[in-house]
Amino acid sequence: MIKDIFHKFSEWFRFDLQRDSSVPGISFAQCYKGFRALLTANNNALELMAEMEQTLTAGRPFGMAFVRGNCTALSVNVYKMILSLQEISNGKYMSLSDSFKQITDELETILLHKPVSPTGAFILPMDQIDRQSIDLVGEKMANLGEIRNKVGLKTPEGFVITSTASEHYMIASNLQDEINRRLKTMDDDNLEELYKTSSSIQQLIINATLPEELEIQIMLQYRKLQETAGHDLLVSMRSSALGEDSGNVSFAGQYRTQLNVGEDFLIQTYKEIVAGKYRSQAIVYRLQRGFRHQDVIMCVGCLVMVDAVMSGVTYSRSPTNRRSEWIEINAVAGLASQVVAGNVSTDYFRISREAPYHILLKKTNVLGTINAAADSAGLTLSDSQANELAEIAIRLEQHFGEPQDIEWSIDRNGAIIILQSRPLGLTTAPTIGDPAVALKENTYLLTGGVTASNGIASGPVAIVRSNVDMLHFPKGAILVVVHPFPEWATLLNRAVAVVSETGQVATHLATVAREFGVPAVFGMAGATKRLTNGETITVDATACRIYAGRRQDILDHAAEPLPNLMIDSPIYKLLKKAMALITPLNLTDPASLYFNPAACKTLHDLTRFCHEKAVVEMFSFGSRYGFDEKSAKQLIGEMPFQWWVIDLDDGFSPDFNKKEKYIPISSIVSLPMLAIWEGMTAIPWEGPPPVSLSGFGSIIFQSTRNRNIDPAVRSTLTAKNYFLVSKNFCNVNVRLGYHFSLVEAHMSEFLTENYVSFQFRGGAADEWRKLLRVNLIKDILSNFGFRIDQKADGLTARIEKRPAAFLLERLKVIGYLLMHTRQIDMVMGDQGMVEHYREKIMNDLRGIAPGKEE
Amino acid sequence: MEKNINILLVDDEADFLETTTKRMKRRGYSVKTATNCADAFQEIATGWPEVVVLDVMLPDKDGILCLKEIKQAWPTTVVILLTGHASMQAGLKSVEYGAHDYCLKPVELDQLIEKIEIAHRESRVKS
Repeated sequence: MIKDIFHKFSEWFRFDLQRDSSVPGISFAQCYKGFRALLTANNNALELMAEMEQTLTAGRPFGMAFVRGNCTALSVNVYKMILSLQEISNGKYMSLSDSFKQITDELETILLHKPVSPTGAFILPMDQIDRQSIDLVGEKMANLGEIRNKVGLKTPEGFVITSTASEHYMIASNLQDEINRRLKTMDDDNLEELYKTSSSIQQLIINATLPEELEIQIMLQYRKLQETAGHDLLVSMRSSALGEDSGNVSFAGQYRTQLNVGEDFLIQTYKEIVAGKYRSQAIVYRLQRGFRHQDVIMCVGCLVMVDAVMSGVTYSRSPTNRRSEWIEINAVAGLASQVVAGNVSTDYFRISREAPYHILLKKTNVLGTINAAADSAGLTLSDSQANELAEIAIRLEQHFGEPQDIEWSIDRNGAIIILQSRPLGLTTAPTIGDPAVALKENTYLLTGGVTASNGIASGPVAIVRSNVDMLHFPKGAILVVVHPFPEWATLLNRAVAVVSETGQVATHLATVAREFGVPAVFGMAGATKRLTNGETITVDATACRIYAGRRQDILDHAAEPLPNLMIDSPIYKLLKKAMALITPLNLTDPASLYFNPAACKTLHDLTRFCHEKAVVEMFSFGSRYGFDEKSAKQLIGEMPFQWWVIDLDDGFSPDFNKKEKYIPISSIVSLPMLAIWEGMTAIPWEGPPPVSLSGFGSIIFQSTRNRNIDPAVRSTLTAKNYFLVSKNFCNVNVRLGYHFSLVEAHMSEFLTENYVSFQFRGGAADEWRKLLRVNLIKDILSNFGFRIDQKADGLTARIEKRPAAFLLERLKVIGYLLMHTRQIDMVMGDQGMVEHYREKIMNDLRGIAPGKEE
Repeated sequence: MEKNINILLVDDEADFLETTTKRMKRRGYSVKTATNCADAFQEIATGWPEVVVLDVMLPDKDGILCLKEIKQAWPTTVVILLTGHASMQAGLKSVEYGAHDYCLKPVELDQLIEKIEIAHRESRVKS
């Protein structure tokens, strides 16, 4: 690819380097190689920054591996740019390394910041726990302790195996590095791999030996409990993760709870629950919600089993309607876990929120799809019990300051025992009664059930009955199941809607669906029989209806998507903090005094500085060695303005006589330059547009005020319009009148090296006109797939890592824009003119780069 | 595209070595493997490898240290670091010690091959 560099070098600079031993430094070949390495690193760095920024704003889920991986790749590339620049500049800019070190040190501090490991006892009994104990016992158990010790309600007796204990277990087993490695190398888009990794990690943890001192303390505490609760004591073991159930994050059903655990299985179950941190749905959930795996620490509550006759869930407000002024109670005979596991029918109460708590609505055996346990048939919640539950709900809501989702049981003595209370995730009000929706109501395929999560979505049906079905679940499909088991939550980042034949709003799956903003209808009988795999349907979960095909008319009524789920998460905040050291660009004007290494405060600044100086170095490389100005050839062609071309390597045809002062375009073989030139010359420039009087006045005013736009004040680099070219590279600085543009492109067989970048700044008219024009250019370039960054009247557009043919088409577009937009801001007095120009430009471009819009 | 590059893959994960070797050979590259730094040294000493793809975690030696020693002994050897464990410190050290590239697992084969091709091309620019 690089042929006979030395020959070219001596031709370009007209002297023999090897004989001139007084000149220190590197050869041109090395210099050009360093320049190319710098450009590729720049390309990588800018792409990485864009990806990180998009991830931050789009609310896409990301994990710590993403943050660390991208920060590492980014700093490696910036570092390469700095070393390359120092190499090609012969050791100038050494102080760049100081700025770089300062930025990366700060970045590393942010990345390494980990919540301080809690220290304390391995075990805490329930009577010693309240919200203050949160770092030791996790949110779920801290809340329960608070309810018992501060609110004064009845909760099960028991104790918590603390975060100190599980940290001790994990440290003693020495597994965390191996676990992290397995998670990092896992492709989390591949479900099969996810399951494999999840189960292998859980096995690792379960197979590790529990430290003896920890085992002794757990057994000791269990025996203490036996003294009051009897020798046949059974406990429920509940996960209580640190960070769980906080704010809008529920972790509902992501971790394990084991009921009826006796002495023999205590230790094994404890290990299983700690390992449950790595259940597949928990891994996906953390990824979706921005929790770092290491931030979640498992605490385990051991609570005496309640001998329950009735159990249920109370919502202090309706979970599907934030404006509701009623309390909802779902109750079943037996254990509460049946309500939330989603496989039995329930009694449903709606109760007013003010004392004396009127019962507004009462339905028994709501869904009737599966009968409750036979021995409890006919048992329902009494009105006075419902009343008492309502009062408790209001007390808890007042204590915790927000609507609550409360799990409870009633024991044989009729006492209400609170098992859990957490903030209720609320979604927007349903749109039932919307006239446009009502119009279509007789055209549905299926109806029935309850809204588990509001919203409307369309996609192909995917019926899931087993784990094997889960593996083949396509992204964007509608999850159709018989029962809403918590395991299906793993699919909620792939599913656009959920339909279940049984279940109600209190199930874990419904809670998670609401949180993810995935529409869900539960209790829709016959769904798996009436729907077939692959068939496209539209689900209106709010109206509990399913329509055949994709129904745009229905979809148009879908509510706005949920706000960015990541925004309050620790990892989002971490990335945001890191980004402050990465993307802001402080160095914008190369002519400014502040365009120097010490002023580089971010990685973006460093890339900008290195790139600018590298181009300058390449340009002036020869002058350090006695560069003959004549090696710049003036271009002959039918074009306004004068253009010079400098060959960096192999940009001129081999037949061209290097001694000539002028070069015809036919002797240029630089692919990107030819594409730009083609765009510039495709449609003749019509000359300056007629300037309205006020537009002209604005130019004169700006000229007296702004020295930068005075054509007499120019840096050496922009004194003429130069193309720096090789066969696959082109860098062109264009200063036409008052406008400054910079185009740079590299074409290669390797996508990694490919890019087109375009910078545009200035303009003589007032700010408003300049802004109109920049907006116009932005719109046009967006159509052609450019990524645009606009700052006031300046604009940077980039495309990278696309095939050469694709990029050459874009260069033609830019070539056209260079010639045709440069003065139109003078006439862009109103939106009508903008539209006129937009139409003309798009029309012209269709001729130049036909069918290439995106 | 040039196809006759001699590639040495150094990694202690047998699965990775096996599948990557198979896929690279299918594309026409010559591939040898080593599972630790000492074996990699022996292989490089023969002068056969043109590009070395080196994992950061090796059983006998820290991959960064292995890189440093390789570059000390054979400064012109092209080394690309590969890691499942992103660390800024290791990344920057690797650039300092002369790695041509540093990439994160999982890496797509196409991307890895591009990096190999580019590093190989650049290494042939003589000063």
